[in-house]
Amino acid sequence: MLKKDLILKSPVSQTLGIENVKDGRFGAVISRAGVGKTSFLVQIAITQLLRNEKILHISLVEPIEKINLRYNDGYANLIDSIGYVDPQKAVRLWEDVCTNKVGISYNESTFDTEKVRDYLKSFKKADLTLPSIIIMDGLNFDKDVSGTLEKLDHLSRDFSIFIWFSIKSHREEKLCDDGYPIQLETYKDLFDKAIFLNPVEDKIEAVILKDGTRTDQIFKLDSATMMIAEKE
Amino acid sequence: MIRDLKRVRNIGISAHIDSGKTTLTERILFYTARIHKINEVRGKDGVGAIMDSMDLERERGITIASAATYCEWNNHNINIIDTPGHVDFTVEVERSLRVLDGVILVLCSVSGVQSQSITVDQQMKRYQVPCIAFVNKCDRSGANPAKVSAQLRDKLGHNSVLMQLPIGLEDKHEGIIDLVSMRALYFEGDNGEQVVVKDIPANMMDEAKTTREKMIDAVSLFSEALTDAILEEKEITTELIMDAVRTGTISRQMTPVFLGSAYKNKAVQPLLDAVVNYLPSPLDIENHAIDMDNNEETVILESSFDKPTVALAFKLEDGQYGQLTYIRVYQGCIDKGDTLINSRDGKKFKAGRLIRMHSSQMEDVDALPAGHIGAMFGIDCASGDTFVSPQINYTLLAMHIMEPVISLSIVPKDNKAQINMSKALNRFTKEDPTFKTYVDRETGDTIIQGMGELHLEVYVERMKREYAAEVTTGQPRVAYRETITQKALFNYTHKKQTGGAGQYGRVSGFLEPCDEDFIFVNKVTGGRIPSNYIPACEHGFKGCMDKGPKLEFPVTGIKVTLEDGAYHAVDSSDMAFKAAARGGFLEGYAKAKPVIKEPIMKVVIETPNEFQGSCMGLINQRRGIIQGSQEEGGIMSVIESQVPLSEMFGFSTILRSATQGKAQFTMEFSIYKQVPQSVAEEIVRKKLEEKPKK
Repeated sequence: MLKKDLILKSPVSQTLGIENVKDGRFGAVISRAGVGKTSFLVQIAITQLLRNEKILHISLVEPIEKINLRYNDGYANLIDSIGYVDPQKAVRLWEDVCTNKVGISYNESTFDTEKVRDYLKSFKKADLTLPSIIIMDGLNFDKDVSGTLEKLDHLSRDFSIFIWFSIKSHREEKLCDDGYPIQLETYKDLFDKAIFLNPVEDKIEAVILKDGTRTDQIFKLDSATMMIAEKE
Repeated sequence: MIRDLKRVRNIGISAHIDSGKTTLTERILFYTARIHKINEVRGKDGVGAIMDSMDLERERGITIASAATYCEWNNHNINIIDTPGHVDFTVEVERSLRVLDGVILVLCSVSGVQSQSITVDQQMKRYQVPCIAFVNKCDRSGANPAKVSAQLRDKLGHNSVLMQLPIGLEDKHEGIIDLVSMRALYFEGDNGEQVVVKDIPANMMDEAKTTREKMIDAVSLFSEALTDAILEEKEITTELIMDAVRTGTISRQMTPVFLGSAYKNKAVQPLLDAVVNYLPSPLDIENHAIDMDNNEETVILESSFDKPTVALAFKLEDGQYGQLTYIRVYQGCIDKGDTLINSRDGKKFKAGRLIRMHSSQMEDVDALPAGHIGAMFGIDCASGDTFVSPQINYTLLAMHIMEPVISLSIVPKDNKAQINMSKALNRFTKEDPTFKTYVDRETGDTIIQGMGELHLEVYVERMKREYAAEVTTGQPRVAYRETITQKALFNYTHKKQTGGAGQYGRVSGFLEPCDEDFIFVNKVTGGRIPSNYIPACEHGFKGCMDKGPKLEFPVTGIKVTLEDGAYHAVDSSDMAFKAAARGGFLEGYAKAKPVIKEPIMKVVIETPNEFQGSCMGLINQRRGIIQGSQEEGGIMSVIESQVPLSEMFGFSTILRSATQGKAQFTMEFSIYKQVPQSVAEEIVRKKLEEKPKK
């Protein structure tokens, strides 16, 4: 019951739709530094965990302790958003679902998709359910990442895993004619979904840039918790 | 023996395995002139380090038993306990911390804060032991003391403050800069015994000044005088800084960080200065005991020699001359011939030979005053016992002892081995509270239990070497537990009429899961069960916990609430109510959805990056849950996980072959968790297969 309530309340269910989150191969959450890309990605991951699915969170910028902290905070925000919940129940549920989360922190310079492939292969070898999504946080799209994206594309196909990326845009850069940030423009065909997070006053606007036929839908998020503030 | 307690330090040296604790101790003993030659841990000289007195320790290059020793530095008496780094021997570390006043936390300058450092840190927190950190192995490739200091802050939450700067790192490590005195220290001579003080190299002056400022800024929080001196721009003397560091360290609000390389004989002497200057004396630490004659009230022990004696037996060893009992005296003074009482069993005994230990060599002393660590011969006691003067009845708080998680059957090869084995087991169980033994009533096998494969392996090997007891071992077994998952009612009547007086008793109530091992609540009112039968009921219920009805594993986590019952004026008896309780338990247990629980271990693998994926795969294949993986320093990855113990047998061989022997792992008990259904079925099947054999 609590699980269902949390999934319904999740900003991900309301912006992307819960089934839709892993429909395709690549998705991107784009914003300037500090707006909440990783927090939003964590919410995507938490909804999957609440559906008893496994997730793999790879960070090239944050240590493992920070990643774990983000998940704890993300879950706490989600719990707070539904009003009073028996704290013991909430803790038990989290202890139960967070065992399906694996966080890996790589150095950007030594990151190699082969390590991820080796790890995923072991799931098949042990006849275990594979993670349903990979969160790829901190890949630097200011550099040429076409090689890495190609390898990750193969990985996604081989293991049928959806990969969500965080992409950092810059304040001084203008958006392209089609509304995409420049970092995504080159690779936009690879991506099935893209959300742009834009801070407006004390809220954050989540603009759906690409999601099947849906485009330019806007949702308002609370800047502190990333929960839905007001739907437009 | 120094009686001025201000000049006594009881310290331990703790760290992750292979961080160089024993090497450091060896250097300390050399510089304090306790030994005249340095032997390496895995030395080519075939001698081994002096602190590793057991053959097995020298052979494997690990410290198994914590050896106690003492030395003198700057007119201070330092008692040192060398503790094992391997987690299977954690009880040794726990014991040491209980009796120590301060710790040198040794960290590797390359690997930084590792899993065992975290465990040791938790233990230090539990016993509120102040510490100073020593970043060792600065001569190693990849050494980065600043990173390690930051990790102390980030991973362990210490307020770490660098007190020194390295002059050169890796193969260029020459010495250190002492930021308090602002001098450069070099270590010359064959064994680095000559400390040469020079000016700080010009190219490091700016860095030294900046780091010193940061250091003073951090330590000024602990001294008003220092803060005033800073604000009033007065001269900041070394005494002011040292007083502030000492206050901060003793109150556990800061951890001063020192650097060096014990193996290369660099900067061990300044570390000894730091022990004397910054770690507490017995007078700085408040120790407590429980007064058993006064409503178990907590009393503060005074390190005064005139007060009645209070001492703790923290370690037992069976030597050539009988049992050697290591003790720490907290209050009073034990003189030869004094009468003492073991507060656990009230037995009186006379203190015979008193000694101070120097690894396996001993020195006779006439008295052991408060604040000191020593040993006594010929006392029959168990580890953790409190010895007191006859006029008081205090007991010191018990140490935190974990339950064993793994067992192994052992069979002696012949009759002689059988006798020796029982001698050995008798000694080992007295020495080590986490090592237990019993005879399986059904199979007749002797079972040994411990904290891990290595733990048991070492004892089997010691039986062979020290007692010539050749034994064959069976397959290691996991200590499964049974528990219930839901509330269930029981209402059972025990009625028997077999001529003469019958047996009658009825119990009614419910069982429910709880966090404690066993709780019994009596809610019977109106004399439905007379109060004199209630203990028999409790006994009956508790008796069922030893062997679970499901698979005969011990039962844990059950709360029994007795609500109602009935008795017969003639036929009721303790025995009848015990039997009724047993029947009630079985009835309720069957309805309470019993499950099997298994021990889950915290497994931390350190592997070169290229094997990270495959190591994570190994965990996956073992029903493990990966909690996270982190790349450290661009070369190594650390994988933290939780894996059922039953899946970890032989893991070291598998890990070695998967990583060309380049990865290592540590394992320690974490928690008991419910076994998945498929595995439970397998356990049931195996158990049923075993039964006909018996």
